[in-house]
Amino acid sequence: MFVPENVVDVLQYLDSHQARVHLIANGTDLINRIQRKQVTPKVLVDLTGLPELKYVKREAGMIKIGALTTVSELIASPVMDPRYDVFREVAMKFGGPSIINMATVGGNICSASSSEDLLPVLLVLDAEVHVRSIHGERTIRVEDFVKGKRITDLKPNEILVETSFRELEPRSTCGFEKVGMRNSLIIAFVNCAVYLRLTENKLCDEVRIAFNRVNGKIPQRARQTEKIMKGKKLNEQWFSDAVATLRNELKLTSDFRVSEEYRLEVACAIFKRTISRCADRLAGEKILV
Amino acid sequence: MSKHLLKFSVNGKDYAVVVQSHERLLDVLRDKLGLKGTKEGCSTGDCGICGVLMDGRLVNSCLIFAIQARNKKIVTIEGVGSAEKPHPIQRAFMKWNASQCGYCIPAMILATKDLLEKNPDPTNQEIRRATSGIICRCTGYLKIFEAMKTAASEMKESE
Repeated sequence: MFVPENVVDVLQYLDSHQARVHLIANGTDLINRIQRKQVTPKVLVDLTGLPELKYVKREAGMIKIGALTTVSELIASPVMDPRYDVFREVAMKFGGPSIINMATVGGNICSASSSEDLLPVLLVLDAEVHVRSIHGERTIRVEDFVKGKRITDLKPNEILVETSFRELEPRSTCGFEKVGMRNSLIIAFVNCAVYLRLTENKLCDEVRIAFNRVNGKIPQRARQTEKIMKGKKLNEQWFSDAVATLRNELKLTSDFRVSEEYRLEVACAIFKRTISRCADRLAGEKILV
Repeated sequence: MSKHLLKFSVNGKDYAVVVQSHERLLDVLRDKLGLKGTKEGCSTGDCGICGVLMDGRLVNSCLIFAIQARNKKIVTIEGVGSAEKPHPIQRAFMKWNASQCGYCIPAMILATKDLLEKNPDPTNQEIRRATSGIICRCTGYLKIFEAMKTAASEMKESE
């Protein structure tokens, strides 16, 4: 294990040692994978002693979250005002207190597995990640960063330092739902995040929908459904058209957790729940049943 | 396999221990410091039995490499009350007979401590949430929740 003093130490080390080096934050995912021999790192680089990557701040219309911020720290941050309750909704289903005290935002992104609960939320917020190497920094959209199951665009000499997204505008909100066997620490059967923005006369201006675990690989947007929903009045017709499109759009697979058919029903149900909660929140009244 | 000198504080006492990279905090607490109160359950972070407080927050000691606890303050069940002078949380657990086989109780008590230090007047839902990461396979949850409520009211009265 390499124990660096600061970020520059890490970057220098990574630039000179590239073979089978794994970065470890609080290990909630990686230690399990090491024990199961799914990964056999030669060297671990411990990132936990880098307090400079622990922050949540508001800057130039953006919310910026340091990669080593834990989920508990994120939801306790004063920057996360009630508009960002979506992160509290995630945290309540993400894991028990001991897990959210450990799991980091950067770790959740870099694990890039189909079970990560933060990823669909970051997708609908159209978030970006900032990665740094000794040679410089680059910014990538989360959607492009997560390329496949356990595959990210992170180069061996880079670390993820921050994720950021635009502040929620007026008349916009975000919601999250997840269904699994247990609220604390469970890999979801399926989870769903929604971003919804209304026009001044309460039409659907913009909607983004993301699911994780629907195809067992990586989180994905439901773009056909989004397209059908845009520009329309929020009513029962809008709602049922959206669900009908979603039913056709989702490509699901069965696995040892649940069958494809069950997963589809659950995906549609939590989509309904999330979108109606978002719509009600924006309209200030119950508009969808 | 590299070795490190781990300096940290456990239950208010400073330690300097030589640890190997792959040793978990749980291994060092139990096998090097002899603090057997912290139990090992699933070893994968699902059961929460190995819970300890690190800088005042509940964490799973099976998911932390020992060296990652450098410069941290750890509290294990041995640091909460004693047989002669139990902590109010421990007294409440005794009063309610909340411990059956006892294996999950160290973590339950530390989770209660973590909760009550931040939130002295928790709701039923907050109590359930605080222990939601810990599995009691005797399924004695109701008495544990009652004990937590009693501990909360007794600790508030004694302030």
